[in-house]
Amino acid sequence: MELQAVLMAAGGGSRMMDLTYNTPKPLLPVGNKPLIWYPLNLLERVGFEEVIVITTKEVQKMISTDPKVKLDVKMKLDLVCIQEDADMGTADALRHIQQKVKTDVLVVSCDLITDAALHEVVDLFRAHNATLSMLMSKAHEFTETVPGQKGKKKTGEQRDFVGVDGTGKRLLFMANEADLDEGVVIRKSIMRKHPRMHIKTGLVDAHLYCLKKSVVDFLADNKSISSIRGELVPYLVRKQFSKSTNSPKVIDETHQNLKKNDKIQISSRDEELLHLTQERSCWNDHRGDMSDAYHGGRLRCYVHIMDEGICYRVNTLAAYIEANRLAPKLFDEPAVHPSAVVSERCLIGADSIIGASCQISDKTSIKRSTIGVSTTVREKVKVTNSIIMHGVTIEEGCNIQGSVICSNAVIGRGADIKYCLVGSAQRIEPDGENPKLQARSLYFPYTQSPQPSIHPHPPPLPPTPPNSYKLKAQHSKRAQFKDSP
Amino acid sequence: MSSRGGKQKKGNVTSEQEEEEQPLQAVLVADSFNRRFFPISKDQPRALLPLGNVAMIDYTLEFLTSTGVQETFVFCCWMSNKIKDHLLKSKWCRPTSPNVVHIITSDLYRSLGDVLRDVDAKNLVRNDFILVYGDVVSNIDVSQALQEHRHRRKVDKNISVMTMVFKESSPGHKTRCEEDDVIVAMDSKSKRFSMVTDEFEIRHDLLDCHISICSPQVAELFTDNFDYQTRNDFVRGILVNEEILGNQIHLYVTQDGYGARVSNLQMYDSVSLDMVRRWVYPLTPEANFTDQQGQGCTHSRHNVYRGAEVSLGHGSQMEENVLIGRDTSIGANCHISNSVIGNNCTIGDNVVLDRAHMWNNVHVSSNVEIHQSVVCDGAVVKEAVRLNKQCVLAYNVVIGPNLSLPEGTVVSMHHPEEEEEDDDDEFLSDDQEVGHSKDKTRQKAFNPAEVGPEGKGYIWKASMNDTEDEELAQCLWGLVLNPDPESDSESEASEESQDRTFQLEVLGTLQRGLEENIVCDNLVLEINSLKYAYNITLKEVMQILTRVVLEYPFQQQGTQLTTLQYTGSLLPLLKTWSPVFKNYIKRAQDHLDCLSAVEELFLEQDTHQTAMVKVLMKMYQLEILEEEAILKWFSTGATNDKSRQLRKNQGVMRRMSLWRKESEEDESSEEGECGR
Repeated sequence: MELQAVLMAAGGGSRMMDLTYNTPKPLLPVGNKPLIWYPLNLLERVGFEEVIVITTKEVQKMISTDPKVKLDVKMKLDLVCIQEDADMGTADALRHIQQKVKTDVLVVSCDLITDAALHEVVDLFRAHNATLSMLMSKAHEFTETVPGQKGKKKTGEQRDFVGVDGTGKRLLFMANEADLDEGVVIRKSIMRKHPRMHIKTGLVDAHLYCLKKSVVDFLADNKSISSIRGELVPYLVRKQFSKSTNSPKVIDETHQNLKKNDKIQISSRDEELLHLTQERSCWNDHRGDMSDAYHGGRLRCYVHIMDEGICYRVNTLAAYIEANRLAPKLFDEPAVHPSAVVSERCLIGADSIIGASCQISDKTSIKRSTIGVSTTVREKVKVTNSIIMHGVTIEEGCNIQGSVICSNAVIGRGADIKYCLVGSAQRIEPDGENPKLQARSLYFPYTQSPQPSIHPHPPPLPPTPPNSYKLKAQHSKRAQFKDSP
Repeated sequence: MSSRGGKQKKGNVTSEQEEEEQPLQAVLVADSFNRRFFPISKDQPRALLPLGNVAMIDYTLEFLTSTGVQETFVFCCWMSNKIKDHLLKSKWCRPTSPNVVHIITSDLYRSLGDVLRDVDAKNLVRNDFILVYGDVVSNIDVSQALQEHRHRRKVDKNISVMTMVFKESSPGHKTRCEEDDVIVAMDSKSKRFSMVTDEFEIRHDLLDCHISICSPQVAELFTDNFDYQTRNDFVRGILVNEEILGNQIHLYVTQDGYGARVSNLQMYDSVSLDMVRRWVYPLTPEANFTDQQGQGCTHSRHNVYRGAEVSLGHGSQMEENVLIGRDTSIGANCHISNSVIGNNCTIGDNVVLDRAHMWNNVHVSSNVEIHQSVVCDGAVVKEAVRLNKQCVLAYNVVIGPNLSLPEGTVVSMHHPEEEEEDDDDEFLSDDQEVGHSKDKTRQKAFNPAEVGPEGKGYIWKASMNDTEDEELAQCLWGLVLNPDPESDSESEASEESQDRTFQLEVLGTLQRGLEENIVCDNLVLEINSLKYAYNITLKEVMQILTRVVLEYPFQQQGTQLTTLQYTGSLLPLLKTWSPVFKNYIKRAQDHLDCLSAVEELFLEQDTHQTAMVKVLMKMYQLEILEEEAILKWFSTGATNDKSRQLRKNQGVMRRMSLWRKESEEDESSEEGECGR
């Protein structure tokens, strides 16, 4: 076994609380499949037979019991649960499973949807005997209108500066705008070794990393690092050019170094043989001077930057909507599930997905939308550009556009919903004339968003009804989930 | 700027035609405005120094002519008459020359900025022009760059003001001038200097050829900004004001071709060799592009060139890359490699020349060895002299016999002290010059120990850099820049350096305090202000202070002190500075922090561990440290093996008990005294 796959699926989805309020992020339906299916499928496609999944108890329970989130993967899943409220970072999680790690690891985040050729990343890892190789992609502009968001979203996240060498593969520099006081500071010694450095911004880190086993061991010794992306990767990138890890002397003094926790040594197994090979070989990774390949450095970080193709991290509502739009292109299954009952007198666009045991009635039109499992859509309903999750009931004559309807919601007769997010088990009832929901609003069973800062505009709840309709919180959402089969 | 821009806008068609018709112009600055080649350039302006037996300015003019420049303005300042004479005699001033050379001289030019301001004042340039120095050697075809530049200007309406020509060459390449180590941030798509775009490239593999294609605006901008002195000022100014003025600078990167500026002797050495190795083709020694009588030479294998009437003695070898000028005779059993020898030289027997650059009329006697050195016109090297690396024998110097010049020796007929008085009377007649130097000679005879028994000349010390800005100028061979001792050990370096500078400052303060007898209260005041300046916590202040004081003897007298010497010099210091300590060490925690600082230091200086007891004792006696604190530190503080061992070795405890007794005795005796 060359690589062990580790899937990080314990994240809370803090940037899309509206959706993860009652469905854990790994299980959010994207194209009627749980989000976690995509990275698992990615791993399965390239031939992994076993994967360690780090997740929470809740997710584990739901995977094993809930039929709607059934993962049709043939790989052996080794589910490892961590405490949900322990506030563990990704590096903490990796440290947690250190005992299980026998070889180099491939760490994937559960919110990654990509059609990237994984071998590109792994090949970099292999070819250069790299310490770290990772995947990045050009950032995408989200074009779809996001519910509950008025106008353009500020680019709140700070830019990352990523420096690669002339070949575009070697990762030389990494810094976040937030950490920079004034301008980008790059050491001249790096410039001397790599005279051409491309500094790129506007890249998305796919959170897919190949890491040497020794890095995991290193993590075990350094408890202070808690996040892979935030701390470990920048640390490794920096360490590439520091002397202490490069001089062979220090390698011999590994023990001594291990004592000093701050100066670690990350060397691989077979280091000596590899070193010998490198010495005897005439191959070199650079030209222009006479120094050894890699300038004698032991630590090497590489990055594969995707120029085209799909690469999304589903960690915001906008990304979630975008992913749903693109997901059907990633797998070739019939758009309409065989067990769904679809009336012949309705219009279903080719870019829509209808889940299992759905009921779609007459004179319905569904375009560019995803309809979840066991959803009932009654007559004369128009659904465009929307995501309808599982077990939703849409009564007659509704018009739903650009919205997200979470599981088990009930949309009353004749509702007109545009660019809204309807929380799970929400009941939108006709009370009088056709209810018309305020455009671009969020409707939730709770009156206050758990993290108000997430919303650019706090959900206007309870909405002052111009033509009155009621919002009723049915049950506690989790109970709801369990009850409905 | 606006008026000219307006003119161009009048009609695109006509302006294009104008552009087509207008001859390409160039501004050649035949002065370096620095003294890097002193004392050689005292007798000859840099542009006329021979490189491969041809004056450097000829290379520049040939380069300009071959790119299609039809009108060149040569600006001279230092020794402008000589340059003028040279140019008038050269092929550039013949009526058939495709490149019309105008010579403009003024003693008032002090920088490139002055020259360009004059260009603007005299309204010399009408269109884009090429700006070069008189010491640029190049064969780069800039027509491509010129085209790009014009295209950009046409598209972007005069936004791009300058296109600088760069050549790709990896860091550490020998034709890269080490002082001129550029790092360029550019937009890789538009080839623009910038850092503002989403994606940019930082390049360290570029060699600045010092060839720039300028718009007429450049001259105007120099006029507008009268403080611009050099091209660097200009580039910086443009980039800083890019957003306001909207001017941009682009660069043109070429992969082939040769371009370098001879900015110091190191560069002279490498460019000269490159020339002989034919990197600057078609500007090769045998091409005789200056079209002068008798300059022709033959080219044979291993890049050996021989001028007319060269005689070579029996058994002499010209190994490779050797250029020998006309009428030069070489004795028997000589060994010559990588060297250039000028016209009318005589070289004796058994001479070894390696990377020697000998100009005209040089006499070298037998058994001489010369390595990587420059020997100027009329110099005489007597028997059995050895010139080690990077020696310079300026004009008419006589050296030897039987002498070995150490590395980097510069010998000139001018006395180094003459330099100060020369600026105004540069154009003394020969007689005066002789009389002048005779006066000097009388005062200061040649030192036979320096230049040999029959030698003539004065040694120029490389290290006579009294004033800071002259520091560079003095170093003929260029800075010996050791690649920085890679200052990249840890990422925390910046934070540490903060502490480090603070430490140095504290050290400086204490030192000054000691020298000038400053009262301790004032020292405290100074340290406090430093504390705020560097944003250091009180705890760190105390620890650093402790450290500085304890290290003070090492600082002053070297690290080789014996323990006895160390304590001997430290203990009085502790006494002097005890008020400073007392100011910072007040609470119980402070005592412990101070102790841990002491411990840390002695763990590092493990040869002096025995001194620790004495230090602690002294501090205790001076009431800097309290007894309880020391005891507490001793009993609890041991954090690792080493410190435990330290304590064990010391037997601190044992001594402590001794002190206690002592102090008790003291007290009791004091009491006793009082009682009496």
